Amino acid sequence: MKRFYFLLLIFLPVFSFADEIKGFVFTREEGGKQPLPGVNIYWEGTTQGTASVDDGSFSIQQKDGQHMLVFSFVGYKQQVVRVESAGALEVLMEPNVELEEVTVIRKDRGTYLSVINPIQTESISGAELHKAACCNLAESFETNPSVDMSYSDAVTGAKQIKLLGLDGTYSLMQVENMPNLRGLATTFGLTYIPGPWMESIQVSKGAASVLNGYDAIAGQINAELKKPDSNEKLFLNAFGNMEGRYEFNANGNIRLIGDTLTTGIFVHANQLMTKNDHNHDGFLDIPMSQMYQISNRWKYNNHKGLMLQTGFTYLQEDRLGGQTGVDWDMTPSLSNPYGVSIDTKRLEAFLKGGYVTPNGKNAIAWLSNFSRHETESFYGLTDYIGDETRLFASAIYTKYMGPLEEHTLNVGGSYIYDDFNEQLYSDAIQRTEKVPGLFAEYTFKPNENLTLMTGIRTDFHNIFGTFVTPRMHFRYRFAEHFTVRANAGKGYRTANVLSENTYLLASSRALQYTDDVMQEEAWNYGFSLIQNYMLLGRDLTLNAEFFRTDFKTQLVIDRETSADYVILAPLDGTSYANSLQFDVRWQPIERLDLLLAYRVNDIKQTVGGELRDKPLQSDYKGLINLNYTTNLKKWMFDYTLQFNGGGRIPYVYEEWMSRVDMSSDFGHFKPYTIMNAQVTKYFRYWSIYLGAENLTDFTQANPVAGADNPFGSDFDATNIWGPVMGRKVYLGLRFNLNYE
Amino acid sequence: MKKLLIIAVALLIGVAANPLYAQKKENKVVCFKSNMDCSNCEQTISDYLKFEKGVKDLKVDHVTNTIKVEYNDGKNTDEGLAKAIEKKGYKAEKISTGEYEKIVAASAHGHEHGSEQHKDRTQN
Repeated sequence: MKRFYFLLLIFLPVFSFADEIKGFVFTREEGGKQPLPGVNIYWEGTTQGTASVDDGSFSIQQKDGQHMLVFSFVGYKQQVVRVESAGALEVLMEPNVELEEVTVIRKDRGTYLSVINPIQTESISGAELHKAACCNLAESFETNPSVDMSYSDAVTGAKQIKLLGLDGTYSLMQVENMPNLRGLATTFGLTYIPGPWMESIQVSKGAASVLNGYDAIAGQINAELKKPDSNEKLFLNAFGNMEGRYEFNANGNIRLIGDTLTTGIFVHANQLMTKNDHNHDGFLDIPMSQMYQISNRWKYNNHKGLMLQTGFTYLQEDRLGGQTGVDWDMTPSLSNPYGVSIDTKRLEAFLKGGYVTPNGKNAIAWLSNFSRHETESFYGLTDYIGDETRLFASAIYTKYMGPLEEHTLNVGGSYIYDDFNEQLYSDAIQRTEKVPGLFAEYTFKPNENLTLMTGIRTDFHNIFGTFVTPRMHFRYRFAEHFTVRANAGKGYRTANVLSENTYLLASSRALQYTDDVMQEEAWNYGFSLIQNYMLLGRDLTLNAEFFRTDFKTQLVIDRETSADYVILAPLDGTSYANSLQFDVRWQPIERLDLLLAYRVNDIKQTVGGELRDKPLQSDYKGLINLNYTTNLKKWMFDYTLQFNGGGRIPYVYEEWMSRVDMSSDFGHFKPYTIMNAQVTKYFRYWSIYLGAENLTDFTQANPVAGADNPFGSDFDATNIWGPVMGRKVYLGLRFNLNYE
Repeated sequence: MKKLLIIAVALLIGVAANPLYAQKKENKVVCFKSNMDCSNCEQTISDYLKFEKGVKDLKVDHVTNTIKVEYNDGKNTDEGLAKAIEKKGYKAEKISTGEYEKIVAASAHGHEHGSEQHKDRTQN
């Protein structure tokens, strides 16, 4: 403790003084720059603010440690500008065509908590994505306190995320504000978005806006991809790790007509051809794999309020896992080693557009995407074949009302078409979902301190009938340092019983299900308090939040009732999830960002007639993240430490009765720690990064139960609670050329 | 495997120590007047100059059109830095530190009396 005080003294700045920042805010109208009065300008995370006057000019005091200046005006995209020193700024405000989009101009700060959005939202910027350089959306959350990432099983390499301690399927996954990566793409979808394609990620907790659909029970995760009209002319990335995984990325933007018509081409390839079996259980720790992806997108922006974007992505992936001696080309049989093979082909396309009227009071937006997904796989002797065709379209009309635009009304309609063909065991399943829906949302924002958002939607489902989804969000900054948020809302979700749970096939137990599809229904309530202070001249953010999810209906995976089957059945009884999280963000010394977070999970489900802790779920998570950059950002250092609490391992009662070892930790796993570190060196056009995941080399013991006899009754590779891969050292190279 | 790890760790440490040692030497300051128009140009110059040899600190401001560079005397020269700015297509007219301070101070003062300066610049 004494040492702590000593540190405090060292970090205490000798004096602190205020500078004045001046500038000018304008917008593009009628072909020229027009001053924009009335824009709210404030230091991020504080209430110190001002507004631009008639000629668009403003001035604001800058204290030590205040760098992020926020420009906000209804009907325009919010701008966040990093201000290094005194001097005049010139800020261009663009009409807000894409609703709810948060634009970060200079992504210098990693993750930040929005105090403006009525929904509890964490933005993960490009800078944060550089901290964990590997490799795709699934791995982008290593430095994030709210999202947990884990392996689904020990053979397929599938990764799943959890938000509020609830499986990723309860969060609405979006790419560019459109639902994506669901259905057949649920299991591996998070690895389908390469890191270098992403611009930023937004994680919102609790029921999301009704404009985005009736899903989003626990929250919403949106990945924004790089835009063709961005500065990036050419980007190249090569990556390799010591397990033999190699990645290559190349993307480039072409300006066909200035920044009016632009196109971007994205290429991704990754490969792992090494057989890794570090725990010598005869099974590959991660499957060998190969993936290719190509994407092309277009953007048209006439800078007079009209914007159109379209594009497509094609993906092909093979995964080969199982015992080290397997030959995947041979017909699976009891006399051959155990093998897993998963072949995937996926085509996606999207079209979206928006128009804002010249007075900025009305806007229309169109969002649509399409995907075709084909999977052919086998897990030992079990085949699973599936294909899915999915279409989503949504149209939204927005009207800003009142002299200060304190009222915003959004109305619109959406349509989902989802067609499945699946084959498992002797069952052939065909099913088509058709869901037209209507929605309306009203936002009241009388001033910068208060936002009230209420929304309702009605959907007409061809299988589950008509249902109503009400949601409400409230934000109030009741004192200089305090912002509270509250939300309540209902969510529904179509549980695709097989396609979302294919990883359960890596077990000797067969799946038992009565329905291949069911609807899940839950209420979510949330409350959070954010405090912003200046501590020793630098921003200090304290956040406390509590979320509760109450399931009315749910698909329950029961691994505990039968020794012969994994039972997938509707919930019979209670099921809930409580999540209590605290986090602290501060810069103890200049350019050193510190994040401390702690979350307690209380997740209970009625399984086999008994309300119990959800299995394979840590009961708490702690996170320490440190990020340091040298002056002028030539070097960047990152260090993350994750503390994961213990939890329950599911077991069948007979198993427990007949067990030989009488150790008391049967049915439980102990807390464990994961450590990651990375160093990045920036050059003018290049950057090079070296890092290590899971530095302490902790792995779950015996991830594959019954590994010596994979066709016997004890085989199970799905009871996974911890890492199945040990220390991974990696090295990567980036090349970056920008438009000037 | 072990060897590679040791190398990796050594690299990490070496990498971490390097910038700390480098800052001990005497630094020189040079100031320029330039002709940037926008914050993008400011970004371009800033991103380019910071990777010129010996550059330790940098202030680039497009409103006052000034550039202030602090660099390691043995590793670069005023002329070398001026050339780098010109290479990106901008003027680099060397001014004294005193003149630089004056321009920056005048600009800060000018803004208090309205946005005339902005209007000039937006018409250019």
